[in-house]
Formats: sequence, C-alpha cells, structure tokens
Amino acid sequence: MWFLATTKRRRKKRLRKNSARPAVRLIFFLIIILGSPHPVLSHEKGESEARRREVRIPIEDFVLTDQSSRPFHFKSLRDKVVVLAFAYTTCTDVCPLITAAMKRVQTELENNERGAVYFLTVTTDPEIDGPKVLAAYARRYGADLSEWSFLTGNEAVLQRIWKNFGVRVVRKARGLIDHTSLTSVIDGTGVMRFAYYGTSPDPKIVLQDIRSLLARR
Amino acid sequence: MRSVVLVSLVFVMAGCGRNQRMDALYVQRCMSCHGTLGRGDGPVAASMPVGLPDFRETVQRKSPGQIRRIISEGRGMMPAFDPALRPSEISDMAQMVWFLSREGRDVSWWEKYDTLVVAHCSVPWDVVLGYDEAPEEKTVEKK
Repeated sequence: MWFLATTKRRRKKRLRKNSARPAVRLIFFLIIILGSPHPVLSHEKGESEARRREVRIPIEDFVLTDQSSRPFHFKSLRDKVVVLAFAYTTCTDVCPLITAAMKRVQTELENNERGAVYFLTVTTDPEIDGPKVLAAYARRYGADLSEWSFLTGNEAVLQRIWKNFGVRVVRKARGLIDHTSLTSVIDGTGVMRFAYYGTSPDPKIVLQDIRSLLARR
Repeated sequence: MRSVVLVSLVFVMAGCGRNQRMDALYVQRCMSCHGTLGRGDGPVAASMPVGLPDFRETVQRKSPGQIRRIISEGRGMMPAFDPALRPSEISDMAQMVWFLSREGRDVSWWEKYDTLVVAHCSVPWDVVLGYDEAPEEKTVEKK
C-alpha cells in the first residue's frame, strides 16, 4: 500500500501549502490591484466622501429600455428633478453604495416632493445588464419603481449618453467594468446641476440640492 | 456507470485546495466588501449601511447549495454573479468562501467535518488515472 502512505504525505503537504500560500498570494494581488489606481476612473478605494460639483451641462434627450423592457424617453421627465447615476449590477465597488444612497434619498423624500423627483440608474455594462437582470437588481435594493427606472440599451446609444455626462467606461472583463462613478442631479429643464464623483454621495446633501431645485421651480 | 464517471470527474475537477484561480476571483469580485479573509471587513464594507457576515460564523450554517445560490442570485446589496460568470467560476467562488470559513481552524476539525473533501484528497488519483506520479517518493517507498 505504498501509494496510500505517499498520498497521506502529499495530503499533509497540500494542507500545509494551503494554509500558508494563499495569504502571500492575496498580498501580492492586493499590491498589484491597489498599487495601480487609474487617475481618471474613480473606482479607487480610500475616498471616503464623494466630491460635489455645481455644474450646468445640458443633457441631450435619449431613449433607453427600462427594467420592464419598455422604452424610456428621458424627455418624459421634463419639469421633474432627476437623480441619475451610473452603475452596473455586478459591480462590487462603489455602485452598490451609490444605489443604496439613492434608495435612501427616495425613502426620505416628503410625500409632497415625491411626484416631482424621479430616479434613474443607467448601466455601464449593457453586455450583462439586460432588463431582467436590472429588474432583479432593483428588487434587491427595494427601489420604488413608480419613481425609479433602471435603464439599459444598445452600446452605441449608451456611449453617447456616457459621453454627454462625462463618464468614462472601460471594460476589464465580463461583468467587470471600470467607470467614472457619477451621481448627478438634473433640473426640470434637462440641465445637469449637481455632480457627485467618487464614493456614494451623502443622501442629506443630495436631498438639500434636490430641494434647492424644487424651491426654484 | 455514467454517473460514477461523472462523479469521479467532478471530484477530479474540484481539486483539493485553494488555487490561484480562486484567489484571483476572490480578489476581483469579493474582497472589496468581504475582506481579505472573509471577515466582512473589506475597504467598501465600512461605508455600507448593512453589516457584512464573517464567513467563519455564517458559512457553516449554510449548505453548499445555499452558498452557491447567494453567489448566483445575489442578496441585498450583494451582486448576482450568475449573469456574468461561468458555472465553474461560481463553483470556485463557493469553494473559496468555504475555505475562508475554515481559515484558522486546525486540521483535525477540518478533517472531521469535511469527510467528502478528505475522501477526495485521499484517493490516489495519480494511480487511478495513471498520471502525476512522483518518482522520487515512489522509490523511497519501495525500499
């Protein structure tokens, strides 16, 4: 039974190997991944707060497909304050924080403000994020879909929208995208007025900005 | 007979331990929230409005099927990886979670509860399948 003894020894060797090496490997991966942050893309760790900017960028009209596979016209939101963010469903970086922050803003709106504010999440990964995938994503976050749409579409259309918002999108692998983390607030005339870059914006600040636009209507 | 071959194949493909593929997947897709050792303390976790589990405490209460389902379908803020990853990659992730949940435990504990893996690791695959023989070890045993 020489092979049983051999295997037992090998098994011990393997167990020893398994307990020591992964930690070293993980450290190497950490150095490689965290050591080379991209200066433009804000999918970087370490930023604790989103950078807020007041801007005036007119947003061109677009038509995308929502989570129920229905066409969605951006123009239909005229006269409403729109909170629009870019995210993709398999993101494990700041997108979950952004969507959670939007959910908080939606929850904290007063009843009289509700009809005047609309939420949009536009995907940065149309390859994965079809309507069904987006619908499941919306469900997991408990988004109130009467005032929130999750949008996808063909890449050429999305490219134009990303460009209009100044969002850079780089596909790294299937379901792994680097993109500018942008949450924006757009006024009733379709002009982007507030932009929050980096990690998720503070819901209180977004609410303040929304209210400042509602007050001016 | 076919099922026996299939089960054997799954065993062979499953591997005995963590490998680089699992580590790479974990670093890419899980670590930012779950942390290097699966203790729920990744760099993104601190900003999350919900607490993240420590695999050492939660994974044992779940079956491999449940872990797989959570990875595939997502849960709360956790993404659903099924649309983006191949089934083999989801298996790798599930195994990685399972390995991390046992990190720091001694080998006897590991062997006691994971009879299936131990059984797999004990099968002399090199002899059964006729490859991966280690000549120097064989020579020593023959003496």
